[in-house]
Amino acid sequence: MKKYIGKRVLTSLFTLLVILLVLFILMQLMPGSPFNDEKLNADQKAALYAKYGLDQPIVVQFFKYVGNMLKGDLGVSYNISKNTPISQLIQTRLPISIKIGGFAVSIGAVVGLLLGLVAALKHDTIWDSLATVISVIGVSVPSYVFALALSYTFGFKLGWFPMLFSQQDIFGSSVLPSISLSMFTMASIARFTRSEMLEVLGSDYMLLAESKGISGAALIFRHALRNALIPIITVLAPLIVDLMTGSLVVEKIFSIPGVGSLLVNAIQSNDYNVVISLSFIYSAMYIIIMLVVDILYGIIDPRIRLAKKGD
Amino acid sequence: MSIKAKPAVEALTKTTYVPVEADFKLKDNAGEITIDENFAAQSFWKDVFIRYFRKASAVIGLFLIIIISVFAIIGPGMNEYTYSAQELSQKNLAPRVKALEKFGIFDGSEKMSTTTGTKTINYYIDKGLDDVEYWFGSDNFGRDIWTRTWSGARVSLIIAVAAAIIDMVIGMSYGLISGYFGGKVDMIMQRILEIVNGIPRLVIVTLLLLVLQPGMLTIIFALMLTEWVGMSRIARAEMLKLKEQEFVLASRTLGAGNFFIIFKEVLPNIIGPIITQVMFSIPTAIFTEAFLSFVGLGIPVPQCSLGSLISEGFNSFTTHPYQIIPPIVVMALLMLSFNLVADGLREALDPKMKEM
Amino acid sequence: MKRTKAFVAIGMASVMAFSLVGCGSSADTASTTTSTESATTGAETTAEASAEASATSSSDMNIMLETPVESLDPQQATDGTSFEVIADYTDGLMQMDADGQAIPAIAESYDLSEDGMTYTFHLREDANWSNGTPVTAADFVFAWQRAVDPEVASEYSYMLSDIGQIKNAAEIIAGEKDKSELGVTAVDEKTLQVELNVPVSYFLSLMYFPTFYPVNEEFFNSCGDTFATSPETVLANGAFVLDSYEPAATAFHLTKNADYYDADKVQLAGLNYQVIQDSQQALMSYQTGALDTTLVNGEQVDQVKDDPEFQAIGAGYLWYVTPNIAGVEELANLNIRMALTMAINRESITEDVLKDGSTPTYTAVPPQFAAGPDGSDFSKDQTAFADVCAFDADKAVEYWNAGLAELGITELTLDMVVDADDAPQKVAQVLKEQWETTLPGLTITLTIEPKKQRVQDLQDGNFELGLTRWGPDYADPMTYLGMWITNNSNNYGFWSNADYDAMIDECTTGALCTDAEGRWAKMFEAEKIVMDEAVIFPLYTQCNAEMMSSKVTGVEFHPCALNRVYKNAVKVD
Repeated sequence: MKKYIGKRVLTSLFTLLVILLVLFILMQLMPGSPFNDEKLNADQKAALYAKYGLDQPIVVQFFKYVGNMLKGDLGVSYNISKNTPISQLIQTRLPISIKIGGFAVSIGAVVGLLLGLVAALKHDTIWDSLATVISVIGVSVPSYVFALALSYTFGFKLGWFPMLFSQQDIFGSSVLPSISLSMFTMASIARFTRSEMLEVLGSDYMLLAESKGISGAALIFRHALRNALIPIITVLAPLIVDLMTGSLVVEKIFSIPGVGSLLVNAIQSNDYNVVISLSFIYSAMYIIIMLVVDILYGIIDPRIRLAKKGD
Repeated sequence: MSIKAKPAVEALTKTTYVPVEADFKLKDNAGEITIDENFAAQSFWKDVFIRYFRKASAVIGLFLIIIISVFAIIGPGMNEYTYSAQELSQKNLAPRVKALEKFGIFDGSEKMSTTTGTKTINYYIDKGLDDVEYWFGSDNFGRDIWTRTWSGARVSLIIAVAAAIIDMVIGMSYGLISGYFGGKVDMIMQRILEIVNGIPRLVIVTLLLLVLQPGMLTIIFALMLTEWVGMSRIARAEMLKLKEQEFVLASRTLGAGNFFIIFKEVLPNIIGPIITQVMFSIPTAIFTEAFLSFVGLGIPVPQCSLGSLISEGFNSFTTHPYQIIPPIVVMALLMLSFNLVADGLREALDPKMKEM
Repeated sequence: MKRTKAFVAIGMASVMAFSLVGCGSSADTASTTTSTESATTGAETTAEASAEASATSSSDMNIMLETPVESLDPQQATDGTSFEVIADYTDGLMQMDADGQAIPAIAESYDLSEDGMTYTFHLREDANWSNGTPVTAADFVFAWQRAVDPEVASEYSYMLSDIGQIKNAAEIIAGEKDKSELGVTAVDEKTLQVELNVPVSYFLSLMYFPTFYPVNEEFFNSCGDTFATSPETVLANGAFVLDSYEPAATAFHLTKNADYYDADKVQLAGLNYQVIQDSQQALMSYQTGALDTTLVNGEQVDQVKDDPEFQAIGAGYLWYVTPNIAGVEELANLNIRMALTMAINRESITEDVLKDGSTPTYTAVPPQFAAGPDGSDFSKDQTAFADVCAFDADKAVEYWNAGLAELGITELTLDMVVDADDAPQKVAQVLKEQWETTLPGLTITLTIEPKKQRVQDLQDGNFELGLTRWGPDYADPMTYLGMWITNNSNNYGFWSNADYDAMIDECTTGALCTDAEGRWAKMFEAEKIVMDEAVIFPLYTQCNAEMMSSKVTGVEFHPCALNRVYKNAVKVD
């Protein structure tokens, strides 16, 4: 097992390095320059390229960047927030995205689980269809429309929650964004819980449990849900990464200083370092979570471990 | 449980083959295996068909997709407007259907909440446009929203279906090959997958749209590039499940090549889950396209997709809400019905199949 | 007594600000009072209002921004939002009055040498930074040297070289001389001397441009790399002090600077900025009273046009179509270009599509930003080039057929590159429709690209038609006319005309430098060449549709340099 984990960690590190290289190459493909093309002449642009070391061969840039990264230096932003160290930008913004993403994941997981449970337990009844329709409608309406509708109703008309994010009232002003953000998670979890539960409920050990006289809540929660939960967590894991790394749409509408809008703005204004750093953080989170899930799976389910050995 | 047992029962009852004594001695009769295979396949699909149509929600889903597709084809031609022709003097007109006017609906009037109060206006009357009607209203260029909604639905459907089919072909082949060969091949192929998946989709898709000429083909390509991963996962998992089974071993013993086994032996056995996945990936593609429109990288104007219509209507959400309703409703129905069809198919194909 | 006087002055300023508000037809709601009498009466009433304001406690003004601040470093900032915020807490040598004229700020007075090439600024004694150290001439020298330092690579360094014509600036930027040789010296602590290469008629109006704002060297060095990234790393010498901010913040706050030399004129307790990218959220926030001013988009104008708080403010940008004259054979044909420009219905674009108060423009230099020696607007007469730039479908078709005949073709397909933003896409769709319906045989395709890419395509000549814009950097027509000289990087069409180049040369560095009227006339001649040759097809001058709470008066709007100035603003609670 230790050997397996060690191997997986090493390959993950290697994967991350390759991702970084791919990101660097992608940046080279981006048309346009990060600097104000309209007002600068060629000499000035050359001077700026030299200043930031962008005139060097990509290999040199890459190794410099990796070197600096190991020292904790992610470079500076070229135009989203000129010359600001990206570590500083991320320090202030990532926690906000993680908080709102965290709320959204919690809401989505809980509601999704409930909807899925209801659908599975009342399989092929009106409740099942209703739960499906609710969860599908959650993802059928684009989140920006949903977000604005929420803001209009609960912020503007009813005045229950703030319409815009504010540092003074992080919890209150996170309610509407978190709900709009949780829709996709909710629908995915609901659908998945339903199919998992259906499978578990039809399994032999459930029959056994039932025949032993276990019934009601204990049967569903202790026996059925517990077994359905493991695969659900694997589905939830990548969704967590998606939500924690911010959402352009929700951030734009609720004026949240998160990292999602930062990434989109950076892509559109050729702010290379910001794109690379944020993408890399996303990749790292993704790969770490996948790694953890893989290892956990290996511990929980010996079949996987054995299969790996067999290969 | 009872459903699962059915195919076997039917296969037994409906068979016309009368066993003769020799059969018991020669179980590995090649001709018999062939006949048996054909027969099982037929019965299986017929059974799927029956099971599918027994589920009301799945039938409703299919029906809705057909209706929307029909409108996407004939809708734009149902009145004299085209999707791009502007009539600036008739901009922002509320929906009006003359036949329904006497019921007090679709009469071209709208309530507008201004900063100084709410007022009801009817531009048709104000501007003296007695003979003009826009069934779904007109947008801020005076274009007919009915025509645009259906041509948008057409574009979205083409994009989504094309992307889903291409990503099925690519993802499926990738997953099957990776799963079948296993070992080093699998290891390398899975690492590549991890890299592709590890880079935020947004970065890949936007870069692609920046580098290539924007247009329908580019969007299909961009969607395909990000969607095939899910498909390959399913295909690989199915392959891992099947490859150790006897029929694969048998085929190999009979001298079949690797690719023959992958595509002729294993593929037909996993087509069910694959089709289900395609059905699920169509709404995802529609949705991703809508997101691209929101970021400004969608289908180039004046062409439209459901996504671009929604993001256009979004700007008038509080002013002229009727502009965003038709594309949203059509999109929601499409998403819903594809999901219903996918759910129905999944259960029809294998009620115990789990979604990966 | 002293207090009342100050209020009257503010009243005057606020009325003058309103006179600038005039932009497009929708501005008729607000007072477009330009006549002296009404201005005086207006001043009295506003003065009363502000007197009342002083009775109640003043509060923060809540301001909506569309984009976050890019940089608070005055020598690095390039965008309007950053400039506005920097100017809230920093004063330069000069500041803008309500009409956009330069009036003394840190410089109490100045002397100009006989030859017009040496300015000597006398700094006021009571100007201090917020850490207590006095604002000195050395602060300006340090800042200006930073602006031209190749290592700093300031994007607006050309404000000192090409435009300001400060001695040795161009050489330093090019790396040929050391930055210490810049023609600016601190004669003593409070005297600053600036040497120019040639007389520059608009030099004083550059002094309110943030690139020229002072930076305290000692403080700058104490901040290390973090200068201007937090309230602790900026120094204020202006009307407000920054008290909460982080890079690219979506909300930040400034408080009135009690130590400001002009502090008793500042009425607002502070400025509360909120970045809101979604215009509908912004308007809803405004309606709940959370904002005192907000931008509204064209679609929302229907909702607010009857509201007395609605106004259209000139934003200065000229939007135009640039044809690739050198690169596309068909567009090298003057008749084709004339046909295209004559076929545009600019009124329809601004009235029916943009609806934000933007004004149709028929001149290469947009109106309402450059006032001449006699105080009149350079482009006041929008019909000056009516024979070559107007909406005339019949004439357009005539030109079109003539052009097609010359080229020996019957059909033409042109592609136009357009920014992926909302307004340009709308305008492009209307242009396509107008061109295709007016000119038989013409097909227009649209290429939608993010702005960065669009600009690069234009500069590389990789386009046929381009929809683009240009905002004035300083209040002189040269900020536009300078673009179309041969080989300028913003001369996207690669158009070249020796006579034109000579004229521009004469006006910038030649004989006409000191002859204000002659220069003015020559620039008009130059503009005529641009229009006659249809080098660009001007479309409209951008306006921003805004809501401004009736509680707030005295915000000054300017089309260039500083878009909004709050120093004299008053908010009644």
